Amino acid sequence: MTADDSKSEKNAAGQLLDSMYLDMFYLIEAHTQCRVDIERTNSSGAILLARTKFQQGGHSLTTAQIPTENSAEFNALCRVVEKAERVSIERHSVDKESGYVEPLHWFSVLPPMSLRTAVERFKKSIELVAESTNLQRELAKILNGIDRLRRSVAQ
Amino acid sequence: MQKSTIVDTRVRLHASKKVLEFLDAHKAHFDEAPANVANILKKNGIKLLDKTNVIKDSEISVKRPTIDSKLLEKLTENVQDLPAGEEPDLEQEKEEELKEEQPLPADGCYLYLTDLHWLHDVMLKLRSKNISKLFLHELMDSCELILPENEFKQRNPELEARCQRLREQQQNREYQKMTKNVDATLQHYPEDTISYQRTFFLVISMIVIFNNHLSLLAVKSINKQIIAVAQFIFSVAAGFTFGFFGVNLMIGPLPFGFRILLGVIVALVIALAEMYFLAKKLHEYDEVLDAPKRRQTEAAPKTSGVQPVKPHIE
Repeated sequence: MTADDSKSEKNAAGQLLDSMYLDMFYLIEAHTQCRVDIERTNSSGAILLARTKFQQGGHSLTTAQIPTENSAEFNALCRVVEKAERVSIERHSVDKESGYVEPLHWFSVLPPMSLRTAVERFKKSIELVAESTNLQRELAKILNGIDRLRRSVAQ
Repeated sequence: MQKSTIVDTRVRLHASKKVLEFLDAHKAHFDEAPANVANILKKNGIKLLDKTNVIKDSEISVKRPTIDSKLLEKLTENVQDLPAGEEPDLEQEKEEELKEEQPLPADGCYLYLTDLHWLHDVMLKLRSKNISKLFLHELMDSCELILPENEFKQRNPELEARCQRLREQQQNREYQKMTKNVDATLQHYPEDTISYQRTFFLVISMIVIFNNHLSLLAVKSINKQIIAVAQFIFSVAAGFTFGFFGVNLMIGPLPFGFRILLGVIVALVIALAEMYFLAKKLHEYDEVLDAPKRRQTEAAPKTSGVQPVKPHIE
């Protein structure tokens, strides 16, 4: 290997390391923002649940309304799908005949507005969790890359 | 102490002397500089040249850099992944090295991601002109990375005082509930006398109107029930009126007996529906009053024969 070659390789490595550092910062910020959003949507959902309980009385929302082991079986409406190292949330539309039931109807046939909004918030929160997982994976990859590259430069 | 939400999600880099020296040495080549960098330089007594424009953060292009993964693989193909156990040692070593080499960082000078992007572009230009051979990561090594963290907040003393007051009120109420059949002076607690006698509330509501000596609280709690009953009577009466007159007006002359029958049927249907809601409402009202009592009786069977001492609500 000539001196010129090694120099250009070192340059490329340095350039790559720079952009990886910038990407790492970007990912840290995005991940933090995502976590903050999860916290916000979750707490606002919880507050809406509490409000429903407060307005409808303690009996309108209890764990007794959730199906137990002895209830009829049903399929999950929301699944986590992993495609090409990316996690995403897949939602199935409600279809009673094939076993996809709407969980909201366990609690009431005509759910109050606050309960419906709470459900929306929690749905959003799950999507944010998936996004956060993706960002975390990317971040781990970048950190690993930085670590390896630094050691290869040191060699 | 409570953790609060992260307010500032930005990553900060505590600028070291090395960064400041670099900026000072190459300030002649800057055409523009972000406001934050200009501020930091000013704080440390370094003056930017007149030709340098100070630009806002929004004017700097912050594009996520694309990583050439093929090049990364090529460069690191002969580097093995370290097993998880060995990494901490390496980090410790690095930290020690940093502590030894690092000159004291300048006070209160934080670089943000936009500034780093600008710095990256500047260094790229300098390298292409062969003015400097430094890389951004070499500068960053001497800096301290500060991650966004949750702030710790003291609980609002006003809220604390209010919670304390409410807790005391609740305990007082429970205590009075427990002792009211022991102490003769507490026998005439309003909630005990009138609101509880729901079966006779119609009769009692009449008494309330004529008895001025009853406490205001009792009148208040009865008012709710009177309103509920009045609503019930009104809607039944309206239903009957509709059946008796309304249908007659719509369809034409009907026999008197049939009209009465229609009125009674409509009123009955409405009465049934109203009854359901009334019962639900009264039941809920009952639940609220009885909740502390019920909890006590639920807990009792768990202990074998020994009367449990009721804990304070904390």
